Amino acid sequence: MYQSLLQATAGFYLLATGAFILYLFSQRESFSRAGQWLLLAGFVGHAVKFAFLFHDAGFPALAQTAATHSFYGWLMVGVYLTVQLQYRLPILGGFVAPLAFLMSLRSIALGEPGLETPPALLTYWLPLHVTLALLGNAVFALAFAVSVVYLVVRRQLKQKRMTGLSRTVPALETLDRLNKIFLVWGFPFMTLGILTGSVWAYAHWGNFWSWDPRQITSALTWLLYGILLHGRLTAGWRGRKAAVWTIAGFLIVLGYFLWGDAFFLSRHGGRFE
Amino acid sequence: MSEPAHHVLYQILVVGVNHRTAPVEVREQLAFPAKRVDGALQDLLTLPSVDEGVILSTCNRVEVVAVARDGHAGLAEIEDFLKSQPDVHLKPTQDQLYHHARKNAVRHVFRVASSLDSMVVGEPQILGQLKEYYAIAQQSGTVGSILHRLFHRSFAVAKRVRQDTGIANRPVSVGSVAVDLARRIFDRLEEKTVMVIGSGAMGEALVRHLVENGVRSLMITNRTFEKAVELADRFEASPIRFEDYDRYLRLADVVIGSVESEEALMTRDTAAEVLRERKQGNMFLIDLGVPRNFDPLINDLDNVYLYHIDDLTDVARENLRGRESEADKGEEIVDQEVEAFHRWLTSLDQVPTIVALKRKLEDIRRGELKKSLESSLKDVSERERKAIEDLTAAMINKILHAPLTRLKQRPGGDAAYDDAVRVLFDLDEEPGQGRPPEAGLDEEQVRERLPEADLDEEQVQGRPPETSFPRKRESRGGEG
Repeated sequence: MYQSLLQATAGFYLLATGAFILYLFSQRESFSRAGQWLLLAGFVGHAVKFAFLFHDAGFPALAQTAATHSFYGWLMVGVYLTVQLQYRLPILGGFVAPLAFLMSLRSIALGEPGLETPPALLTYWLPLHVTLALLGNAVFALAFAVSVVYLVVRRQLKQKRMTGLSRTVPALETLDRLNKIFLVWGFPFMTLGILTGSVWAYAHWGNFWSWDPRQITSALTWLLYGILLHGRLTAGWRGRKAAVWTIAGFLIVLGYFLWGDAFFLSRHGGRFE
Repeated sequence: MSEPAHHVLYQILVVGVNHRTAPVEVREQLAFPAKRVDGALQDLLTLPSVDEGVILSTCNRVEVVAVARDGHAGLAEIEDFLKSQPDVHLKPTQDQLYHHARKNAVRHVFRVASSLDSMVVGEPQILGQLKEYYAIAQQSGTVGSILHRLFHRSFAVAKRVRQDTGIANRPVSVGSVAVDLARRIFDRLEEKTVMVIGSGAMGEALVRHLVENGVRSLMITNRTFEKAVELADRFEASPIRFEDYDRYLRLADVVIGSVESEEALMTRDTAAEVLRERKQGNMFLIDLGVPRNFDPLINDLDNVYLYHIDDLTDVARENLRGRESEADKGEEIVDQEVEAFHRWLTSLDQVPTIVALKRKLEDIRRGELKKSLESSLKDVSERERKAIEDLTAAMINKILHAPLTRLKQRPGGDAAYDDAVRVLFDLDEEPGQGRPPEAGLDEEQVRERLPEADLDEEQVQGRPPETSFPRKRESRGGEG
């Protein structure tokens, strides 16, 4: 049941990816609009899946890797759709749709999420911690997308070879400002995610920090984005530099999601002793 | 698309000259000054064949779009009308004028509206001009249901072409390329400051483009301070002494260099310094100088974009090529729309009441004709017989003209007029019954003869309508 809902959702994300690829090549708005509707459809299907899952489990069961991955994809799409309300940036869908698809695919591959939440995690710290941390990462996904677009447009302007693409996206200055806005929003979420995790860990296991690979990569990303945000706000870092740092930070996030818990069994990877 | 047997009673015609067919000396003589358009439109409607008319007069084209009852006569009358305007001494020759009828006329109007017929393909002004002249004609009361539909359709076609093809979104002049680049770098030009170093026609043109696109803050400097002051006055800018300009550089988001100087105005190091002072705020440098005013290496720095005038012209040329290839897509859209419009136009004639009314009168005419030719007119010659045929056919057409026009307009969109006509002319009897018994023609025969008797050019030429007269002249007045 959850699997088939998730498969349908993944199908929508895949179709949306196709629509955005067509949009990138043709710059026709009808494609980006189709992509956005498909993402919305996927988002709704995805939400229904979680509603059923949480209802059946009797608890926001976000402990298993299968659930968190797909939850991350869902948040990304949600943040993207919210951003669309304020800024006209359909092109970001070209990044969010495949990422959300990838996360759903991973979740499907990992199999049916257990309805049973380990007793140790049966506390509202769990959904709070997971949601905050993943929300931060979801906002960073958009910061990443906007930075890639920035670098592409910048390169075209530098090389004096313009394509239709750079006309359909906002000005460099706007893209750079959006990078900052996403950082300013994503960073506190991530900070709170790490804080809730630490406090919870202390309350449950008696230590703030256990050198779990998830913790290490989070700390690394947090540090990177912290420095970048600081540099942006005080030292006038911007443009290419900010874009490159943002992309680097997100690659760490993505790397963990794709491979991290496959290699390291830890509290974040499904071993909750 | 095959022409239905009883095809359009009206023809859309276009007669005119444009930038491709006639030199400016001819065009400017034919041009209608704005205040004379209304009067000219009234004159146009006095032409015997013309029912509706719009005059379009811009610096690149002067043309009349009209609806006529008779295509042949209409084209000739409109041509005379154009040539007989006051002050036309240099009459356009036959190959300078183009004549379009039917689908070709519709296509022409659609192409003009979509800017596919413009000197610079995709330029946006023509649509506005077309709307303006259409509005004048509407106020003058010379627009009827057909031109109304034609022009509104052409506005929609123009929008479609603009949206679905890239003909309009690539700037093709140096000034607009510069503005386009500035827009890709900067968020809001209104909040940006432009500095112009030196003077020159190109620099001034660029400034004008930037100002038209929102730039409000402008600094101008020149080796001769008076020149800076003079130019600054013209643009409401701040003049700056040449000795001081480098102190203001950090305030400038766009810098236009247009100085003849052996020594570069800005080296890579000064640019890096300025960027530091600006906290890496984006800069757009435009180099119009020969030799170069700005060190080309500056482009390697972050957050600064350096374009030489040659780069701008390259981009413009590239864009023009792009537009022309996009124009083919535009032509396809126009073709589809022409067919759709033509279908609508012919469907007007297939309104059942209209078909029935025409058939009824034609039956009467045939019946009476047959009766007379067999009795009182038995001895007339073949020539006289033909003349009588034509005369009666022409009478029917003249009589039918006004009622058919009303019926096609379908006032109020309801069937009140249809009903009235059906009652008045007794159109609702069973087929065959309404015909005078002495007519002696069966349904099939009437059907066959109907198109022949219709008022259209094949009556004169005996050729199918689609390949009739317009072709010949068009190839001469051609669109090239």
